[in-house]
Amino acid sequence: MFGDLAVLFFSCVLINNILLIQYLGNCPFLGTSKKMETATGMAMAVVFVLVLAGIITWLVELYVLVPFNLKYLRTMAFILVIAALVQFVEMFLKKSIPALYTGLGIYLPLITTNCAVLGVCLLNIQEEYNFFQMLISSFAYSAGFGLALVLFAGVRERILLARTPKPFQDTAIGLVTAGMLSLTFFAFKGWV
Amino acid sequence: MREIIYMVVVLTGISLASGGLLAALREGTQERIDQQVLEFVKGPSVRAVFKDAANDPIATRFQLKDGPTVRTFFVGEIEGAFRGVALEAAGKGYKGEIGLVVAIDTQTGNVIGINVTTHSETPGLGAKAKTDPAFAAQFNGVPVSGPAKVTKDGGSINAISGATITSRAVAGGVSNAFTVYERLKPQIEQKLKEIRK
Amino acid sequence: MAKTLVQEFTKGLWAEIPPFRLVLGLCPTLAITNTLENAYGMGIAVTFVLTFSNVLISALRKIIPPKVRIVAFIVVIATFVIVVELVMQAYTYALFLKLGIFIPLIVVNCIPMGRAEAFAAKNGMVRSALDGLGLGLGYTIALSVLATFRQIIATGALTVYETPITLFGPAFEPFRFLVEAPGAFICLGLMLGLMNILGKK
Repeated sequence: MFGDLAVLFFSCVLINNILLIQYLGNCPFLGTSKKMETATGMAMAVVFVLVLAGIITWLVELYVLVPFNLKYLRTMAFILVIAALVQFVEMFLKKSIPALYTGLGIYLPLITTNCAVLGVCLLNIQEEYNFFQMLISSFAYSAGFGLALVLFAGVRERILLARTPKPFQDTAIGLVTAGMLSLTFFAFKGWV
Repeated sequence: MREIIYMVVVLTGISLASGGLLAALREGTQERIDQQVLEFVKGPSVRAVFKDAANDPIATRFQLKDGPTVRTFFVGEIEGAFRGVALEAAGKGYKGEIGLVVAIDTQTGNVIGINVTTHSETPGLGAKAKTDPAFAAQFNGVPVSGPAKVTKDGGSINAISGATITSRAVAGGVSNAFTVYERLKPQIEQKLKEIRK
Repeated sequence: MAKTLVQEFTKGLWAEIPPFRLVLGLCPTLAITNTLENAYGMGIAVTFVLTFSNVLISALRKIIPPKVRIVAFIVVIATFVIVVELVMQAYTYALFLKLGIFIPLIVVNCIPMGRAEAFAAKNGMVRSALDGLGLGLGYTIALSVLATFRQIIATGALTVYETPITLFGPAFEPFRFLVEAPGAFICLGLMLGLMNILGKK
């Protein structure tokens, strides 16, 4: 069983990287990857929220949606859970770790609309993961997101120093670079 | 205080309206959706096990109550007679449930064919239960009296190498199908008589 | 500077076209533009959700208390997303399977949320409807153009409805790279650059 979970872990972080291979989480990706600090802050926040969200949504599916035949309301239930969770995390951080709260700034509430968070919660159900698989998947996907984000921020900081043609500056060249990064992650496909 | 009450009232109002709309829509579309799921998800498997049938096994189907569960049986017309029935079964695989469709010839009491519908098994290993026709073909002709077991458990089915759990699960699912079939045999015969008229 | 009603609609088709000018709604853009059918299917779904949620939120804008507006927006948008989910399951099951997880993800697509906050909450119902329709249509067009380009070059075929229509003979060497993730990113980046060049003129 552990071998299996290890394979799951690596496939979520690298082979099926949620951002570069499965296309989820792009909006904040392009928005927060301009500076290394914001990127690392966002990465950590996403890991924290996604693991918690994964657990709660999985439990909601198991104990509320399935027994009451409400599976068609899954989208609504999950997004409300995520929004509420982000609110709580915000309030909690404000009181307990104010430094982190101000560091993350506007990016914390933005996690609600991060497609990767809702996406992974839905994937956990779609793939019919058990509790341990769900934990690994949530953690590994968010770690993969963070990894891609931080790598990208590093590259982007360098690009700022290069001479890019005007129409391509900022987002356009960012996307092309993301494509290159995605290509390198593609190389992992043959691994498993 | 009044502010909070107002917020709660508004949100509850919106939620109720939303819930009402969605529940109503769900009622309205339920039947069509079930039909679509049948066509797209189970359809291919049912048609695959009844590939020599002269009729449309999806269209010719009936349901029976088996205790608390309602089971759907698909009928296949073979050699001029409505004698093939396919039912759904499941086995506990490596990574979750393996869904099966098992077709039985009611006249000979043997399996016509089996097909894997849904699974979460490892691609290249357990997934071969679905992709490798030779594996499923081993179940053809197996009598309902059984056994449907892998060689390791004393049966005649060769497990997929590297996927013993998956193979066992499929065999187990087929055995379950046998049990259900035997249990409901009188009612199945009855329904087939009605269809033949 | 007030816009005429017609301008409210047409701005979504060029000046503020998502995802190029209005950098919102990127997630599905990359995933869904592998075939033309997926692209316009998703576009229509988003247009539906966007227009209806814009109208409803605009209608309720004076009633929704500011502190809970995000939650209220989420409930409204999620409702219409589920409507789309159920209707697609009932009438276009094959497309529903192809778009998969991206249909429920419309709820976190920045376009409906963004427009609800930036526009519908501050404008009348008619304007909000036009805003939704215009942006939605623009989005559909943008997705379709990108998808057409990607699909033709990557596979030599185009799926207008269900089955792909092969456009080139067997001598055509498909540039498969474009249909996979890296190609999508690069393609979008190049198109964005192109839009910027065209826009400057």
